[in-house]
Amino acid sequence: MKIRIISIIALLGSFFCLQGQNKQILYDFNEIPQSLLTNPGIDIDYKWYAGVPLLSAPYFQFGSSGISVHDIFANDGVPIDDKIRTKAIDGMSKRDELSGFFQIEFINAGFKSKKNPDNFYSFGMYLEGNAIGYWFKDLADLAYYGNAGQLNRKFRLDHLKTTGELVNTFHFGVNKRLNKKLTIGVRAKLYSSIFNFRSTKNSGFFVTREGQNNILANTLVADMEFRTSGLIGIKDIVGDDAVSNSNLTSLLLKRAFFGGSLGVGADFGFTYRLNERTRITGSVLDFGFIYQNDDVRGYTLKGASTVEGVEIIEQNRTGNINADYWQDIIDDVEEQIPFEDANESYLTLRPIKVNGSIRHDFGKELEPKEDCACGVNTTSKLRATRYANSVGGQLYFITRPRGLQAAITAFYQKRFNNLALKATYTADKFTKTNIGLGMVFQAGPINFYLMADNLLAYQNIADTNYASFQLGLNIISWGKN
Amino acid sequence: MKKLVGRILSLVCCVFFLSCSEEQNFDQFDDVSLTPTLASGILYVETNEETINLIPAMSDVVRDEFEFDAFSEGVFADRVLEGALIYEVENTTSKQLEITLEFLGAGDIVLDTEVFQIDPEPTADLQRTVAYGSGGKSLEYLINTEKIRVTVNNQSDNTSVSTIANAILAFKLAGEFRVRVK
Repeated sequence: MKIRIISIIALLGSFFCLQGQNKQILYDFNEIPQSLLTNPGIDIDYKWYAGVPLLSAPYFQFGSSGISVHDIFANDGVPIDDKIRTKAIDGMSKRDELSGFFQIEFINAGFKSKKNPDNFYSFGMYLEGNAIGYWFKDLADLAYYGNAGQLNRKFRLDHLKTTGELVNTFHFGVNKRLNKKLTIGVRAKLYSSIFNFRSTKNSGFFVTREGQNNILANTLVADMEFRTSGLIGIKDIVGDDAVSNSNLTSLLLKRAFFGGSLGVGADFGFTYRLNERTRITGSVLDFGFIYQNDDVRGYTLKGASTVEGVEIIEQNRTGNINADYWQDIIDDVEEQIPFEDANESYLTLRPIKVNGSIRHDFGKELEPKEDCACGVNTTSKLRATRYANSVGGQLYFITRPRGLQAAITAFYQKRFNNLALKATYTADKFTKTNIGLGMVFQAGPINFYLMADNLLAYQNIADTNYASFQLGLNIISWGKN
Repeated sequence: MKKLVGRILSLVCCVFFLSCSEEQNFDQFDDVSLTPTLASGILYVETNEETINLIPAMSDVVRDEFEFDAFSEGVFADRVLEGALIYEVENTTSKQLEITLEFLGAGDIVLDTEVFQIDPEPTADLQRTVAYGSGGKSLEYLINTEKIRVTVNNQSDNTSVSTIANAILAFKLAGEFRVRVK
């Protein structure tokens, strides 16, 4: 059982290896209730919805810029060392990344207010994991080539940047149609962190120079930190065969339900109709933080030291002739650059996501799904008309340790009475040939959707730099509460 | 409509089930070789002419023997593949000097020795590179080194004075070694 749990964590962890978190197919795909999570201010025409637990929105995404599995592990007869050298060591820069993201919904439901049909409330809980690691270019060069023949080159320690977390999120949102043109929404979030790790504030360098006395001098100037919250407790249980599996399960559950580090955040969004057929939307997601104070363990490496080797200057000698000079050097370095514990609580900001879009509807007007036969008091007069086709563009930004990441998307959407399709083309740092396709099918109250991204990569999935996948099952009603 | 949905679902299924991946060989990871070449200063010995002249002529002006575990540490000894010791000697004193560097193993057994005959100034800096490992001396000399003994013998008088101000003997030693990380 413990192995199974570890396997699940490892599997989830493997998806961590990336993160763009862009849900460009889902965004503004209003036929799917989960699009509320990408913009709490979308136009909603249903009375209520409920996601099927675990099946309403499992979402996985991975991305790696600069390299793919195929680049290294293709069975092409080329020595792997050559591929590593050309594709990774010499081919990647410090801005290249390996990142991952997953999200699994446990609860997601929403309903229209009885008193005011222009208000729509939603709530839920989802588990989210994400991680990002930038290519530590200089450190990789140092490990691969070494410092010989690299006189005066500074190997920068700030190339090491990585962060990741597993968070359970509880949310409650309000969506309100203010008038025929404007719909706004806000969502409050409570974060219950299961674990977090972060090493993003590193600086310093290692350099080999001509020595003041000796032929070579190695200098290390370091200001590095690695902080964790929640990892030690998990590691202790996983590493102890005498501890039962239920301990790990109960620990994870406890932290997922407010028993670990906590945080708060909010989403904001709007939809504004420029005219009958054109509208713009925008959203800011995960504007919040988590105060990491549970099971905190951290380490720092801070200081500066230069070593030229053992130095014996006869005219200055006063000490023991048979001293252990080498041990003295080691002691000096450890004193000048101490490796210390740093177990203070710390604050982590959530990766903020910003979406924006403009869309133009055209084609024939579709039959409304909202129940219009239930009186003026229960059906909004502000309902927007649905059209058979839409075309538009989207922008996406996310805050990452090395600054903003952006993506731009063009899309076309086709609607039938019980079926809607959305095709997207997206360009971002991972790929410039990302074609995605989403489909939502409505069979009575059953709402089933499927979305996949970077479809061209399916020709050789191992050679892709980016992929995401999401499917879901919801129950939707356009009838009475 | 049913036909359309059916076609689309079929298409989606095709995308996923017909998606393919060129053959990957993850066993290649076992063949990854990570062998950086690391460089560092190792030893610097300096003595000035004034100090040399305090000691009787034709005798040792420097004789140091000290613990040196750097080569026998597992992180080096278990991983080193080959390398070289790089010597530079700079003499601006008026003395003819002989420098002897000895690598001592357990029981102070001499494992390896390098001797340098240095002319008095004016003389060019002496440089010597000694290879270890493939094509060079045995790496075992270094791996088993527990101590280093350095001796500087003045083979001249102890009265002469160099024409160069602040005359010194500077003996420099650095190393470059290729190690197997993986």
